[in-house]
Amino acid sequence: MTAAVTPGGPPALELQALDVPFGAAPAAAGLRGISLQIAPGERVAIVGPSGAGKTTLLRAIAGLTPTTGGVVRGDGADMTGAPPERRGCAYLHQSPVLFPHLDVFENIAFPLRVRRVSRQDVAARVASLLALLQLDGLGGRRTDAVSGGQRHRIALARALAADPRALLLDEPLAALDPTLRDDVRETLARLSGPGLPALLLVTHDFDDAALLADRVLVLLDGSIAQDDQPARLFARPATLAVARFLGIPNQLPAVVGGEHVHSAFGTVPLGVLANAEDAARMMASDRATERRLTLVAAADAVRLTPPGTGVDARVGAVRVRSARTTVLVEIDRASPDDEPVIVECAVERHGHPGVGARVGVSLDASRALVYPDR
Amino acid sequence: MTTASLPRRAWPRTLALLALALSALSPLLVLLWRASARDWFWPTLVPGTLSLDAWRALLAPGAGLGGALGTSAGLAIACGVLACVIGLPVGRALSGLRGRGRHVGAALVFLPVAAPPVALGVGIQVLMIHLGLAGTAPGVLAAHLVPAVGYLALYFLGVFTSYDARVEEAARTLGAGRARTFWLVTVPIIRRPILEAVGLGFLVSWAQVPLTLLVGGGAVRTLPVELLAFIDAGQDQYAAAAAIVLTVPALAAVSLFVLAARRTSVVAV
Repeated sequence: MTAAVTPGGPPALELQALDVPFGAAPAAAGLRGISLQIAPGERVAIVGPSGAGKTTLLRAIAGLTPTTGGVVRGDGADMTGAPPERRGCAYLHQSPVLFPHLDVFENIAFPLRVRRVSRQDVAARVASLLALLQLDGLGGRRTDAVSGGQRHRIALARALAADPRALLLDEPLAALDPTLRDDVRETLARLSGPGLPALLLVTHDFDDAALLADRVLVLLDGSIAQDDQPARLFARPATLAVARFLGIPNQLPAVVGGEHVHSAFGTVPLGVLANAEDAARMMASDRATERRLTLVAAADAVRLTPPGTGVDARVGAVRVRSARTTVLVEIDRASPDDEPVIVECAVERHGHPGVGARVGVSLDASRALVYPDR
Repeated sequence: MTTASLPRRAWPRTLALLALALSALSPLLVLLWRASARDWFWPTLVPGTLSLDAWRALLAPGAGLGGALGTSAGLAIACGVLACVIGLPVGRALSGLRGRGRHVGAALVFLPVAAPPVALGVGIQVLMIHLGLAGTAPGVLAAHLVPAVGYLALYFLGVFTSYDARVEEAARTLGAGRARTFWLVTVPIIRRPILEAVGLGFLVSWAQVPLTLLVGGGAVRTLPVELLAFIDAGQDQYAAAAAIVLTVPALAAVSLFVLAARRTSVVAV
């Protein structure tokens, strides 16, 4: 899947059918046919399970990992075989890698010294970056005498000093305590606007991806499974695999017959589903009158109702998390031979039915999706 | 309880330190004494006559050990620097190998270190004769480099095994090419190990006897070779004085390198 076309001018970064092996593993185990465009100043998050190749992709773009096929372009120019220093892509490791022999000022000045910028211009540029990243007064400090959040900001300031066309951030928020995480997230959120580089960041956190990125790429099994705006990605995963990766909890067997979908939630019209058009196309292409599918619904697309309304069910467990509370309910079986169906639905933190309570369950069909089983 | 038991616990350590100091210093003290004694024969415990004749003769300008001292210093400094220049990339390359490759590579590098110097010297001697370098200072330097490079390659293998190469990746993506990354990032970060390595290479050459004798063939007169000549001739007073001259620069060189390494305000690897 390829990203939207960049309006006006060449993309800051463009990948065409990029193949990247995973170390010495067989070629089939690597990234295959990755195509992607990132506009200047655009912010893109890459999500995917561990081992999907997110870091490998960033390193390949930076020129730190060899590719075996495809093209990498920067501002329209082919840089597939170019060394890292000629790509204009600053790569930031998961934990900030600062030069231990240089103080904070000289760390930030490093890319400017490499380009032989005059002393006055170095001082002015470093001062402006120290101010931008809220590091005023720290220029003379040793890098081992600053806090964790400051180290992240120093690394960002140093990367910006290189005037890159793209910042490649490898899990910048991983392994940080909540306070530090907020600090770095705020800093990253400020790094958007005219004149700032495109930003490509790897994250495991969907909230971070949604907050920080204009687009989110889902990397599954060595290729891009979906490339979408965050809201659309979370509302309409392109495939069952993406829905599963995003952790949408309710995945029920369903049967489409005629214009309706039959599942444990009862029968709902096909036309009201969130991906009704896709489902209709799928049925039309199959020329099938009936087909087994998987119905997928987020926890907040399933509502608890008073007993006797909706589908009869019983509360089996309550899950209290920091951000939300959900209950697991077991839908009553039509016959003792049926498989048990357990669904998760979001509830208010207080006042929800307890374990063992009889409830009704109803589905907001406009937020449900159906996918072929494979 | 703690204050009472501490001195008792400290005794073994104090004794061990004293024994170490005694074993290190006693030969030097005996050498100093012997170098200043004209007559000192068994079974007398103290020298008969004190004399500085040997010192005067050995340190006289234009004669004595001056030439050998210069040759030894030149060879040792060149050996330290060149062995570092060669050993650093070899050690770095070895650190990049994994599994059996690293073991085989390290074993190959260790071979000249492990081989008996005389056996090694015979092989190198034949090679130098073929190259026309036998009996010359460059030939002796080349011979000294063989074990020195082995030592330093293994030393740098250890250094780069614990070295965080991500600093170089960061520098590259910030616009620094390979060479600038090496000089602006790698070298400053490992400055201390580099200085220590030069010191180690210096010492390998400074104390080298078998390779110097075999390849130099007596034409290249280093300090250890002169020392052996004195011993061979039974000139114990001269030999003792030469031994001190041989020891002091080595200790001074080590102290200098340690001092320089401490003054480099970089993070050790």
